[in-house]
Amino acid sequence: MRVPTLALPRLGVGLAYQAPLAPLLAAARAELDYVEVVPDILWTDLGQGEDVRYVDDCAGRRALEQASRGRPVVAHGIGLSIGSAGLFDTAHVDQVERWRRRLGFPWHSDHLAFHLAEHGDGLMNVGITLPMPRDRESIELLVPRIREVQQRVPVPFLLENNVYYFDIPACEMDEPTFLNTLCRESGCGLVLDLHNIYTNARNHGFDARALVAELELEHVGEIHVAGGMELDGFYLDAHSDTIPEPVWSLLEWTLPRCPNLGGVTFELFGSWFESVGDARVSADLRRLRALWTTATRPARRSAVAEPA
Amino acid sequence: MTALAFQTALARLIVEPEFRDAVRAEGTAALPGPLTPREASRLATIAGDRGLDMNRTLHKGFRLGKLRALLPLTCSLLAPARLAREVAAFWGANPPSSFSFLPEALEFCAFLEQRPLRSVYLAEVLAYERATLELERARLGPAPPQSVRFRHDPVRLLGTLAAGRRPRSVPERPCLLLGSKEGDAPTRWTLVDAVSPPRRYDRESAAAAPGGTKGIPT
Repeated sequence: MRVPTLALPRLGVGLAYQAPLAPLLAAARAELDYVEVVPDILWTDLGQGEDVRYVDDCAGRRALEQASRGRPVVAHGIGLSIGSAGLFDTAHVDQVERWRRRLGFPWHSDHLAFHLAEHGDGLMNVGITLPMPRDRESIELLVPRIREVQQRVPVPFLLENNVYYFDIPACEMDEPTFLNTLCRESGCGLVLDLHNIYTNARNHGFDARALVAELELEHVGEIHVAGGMELDGFYLDAHSDTIPEPVWSLLEWTLPRCPNLGGVTFELFGSWFESVGDARVSADLRRLRALWTTATRPARRSAVAEPA
Repeated sequence: MTALAFQTALARLIVEPEFRDAVRAEGTAALPGPLTPREASRLATIAGDRGLDMNRTLHKGFRLGKLRALLPLTCSLLAPARLAREVAAFWGANPPSSFSFLPEALEFCAFLEQRPLRSVYLAEVLAYERATLELERARLGPAPPQSVRFRHDPVRLLGTLAAGRRPRSVPERPCLLLGSKEGDAPTRWTLVDAVSPPRRYDRESAAAAPGGTKGIPT
């Protein structure tokens, strides 16, 4: 049975959970509607071939539930590696489903990339999300896998557009065509990470807004925003700062044009929270809340939904 | 099957600098098959892309971050230059294989135990952190108790490192630290030495120890 695409509840503004951000979750009661968690931190994978493969982290679950304070919890995974040519780990998908039943994720997502590759007799984990060629072959690899995920986890499944510091040459499709085709053919939604698009645009010299304008925004179920930093001549998607103004501009343009949006999630690594400061992060959350409220008013939404 | 070989080669370009350098120097001739001509051409182009070096920087940061998080005292004791050399040697022999942080940290412990390192304190600090990881690693049954033998005063040695300082002239104190962990409760360490009765060894007792040490990981 195919899951209806993007039957997402409209939650509002969310924060990507990291343990050091728990005080922020406690303080920002009005600004935050949901908590996003990397589900992979809630268990330890002892590896394929073990009698019992996953050991759940009960203390981690308690900490998450305490921090979320009754808010909905959305899952954003890092472990699937759905683009790995030689591996599709259905046991991992089943583990996500076990935690969906516990925490009631209204939707879940992972990354449109791969980080696991075959090496000798085993697997090599690069630890960073690597791009897939934007070719027909990749679509044909991904579509049946997405359908398998949709069957095993009966809530909408989204994939996040990737950040990349090198591009794969001579792809058959540009990024919007690839993403639109994948969503249309598989029924998956998109986590539209605007900071990833901004990062790619800065590093590779293209117009971020023009790329977003080419996307079929009805596929967007969730938007991610974040801040980054410069290193060695690159701008990094480091989740190390508040949201830069160009990303705000992208968000202001994009948000009211996404008719099936469930939420906008702010991502900040917990290790940066102290140096960025509670005041600046809280100011961003208030600004996100105001934008969400404005953009999701019925009159405003119908006004921008009309074709130009 | 060529997509599989393409991804393996792409990952190796990031993880193995020698392989990257060979592809930069020799082009597609350095690439193992089976690859289509388009895949080989893509990989040869990517090998020369400076974005690949940024990916390597991020990959190293990811991997080193795992070790620093789980072996903070060992990493601190080794100091940056020595740590960099040891990590490079370890990575050269051990491709990154796990998404879980702990197995790689334990492998690094085993690697360091075989290295000719001159620090008088390293064996004790390494044994303590390895025992801590064994107590805290995810498992289905109870964690087996751990015993760590010290030649130097563990309160002074571990406390100094936990406070971010390099230990010097730590007095000798032959003793054992006995570690245990029940369920989700914090790890408990008990210090047993030859001349005094056993006592709990935790944050409170460490903070009250001579020298004002604090922040002993328990």
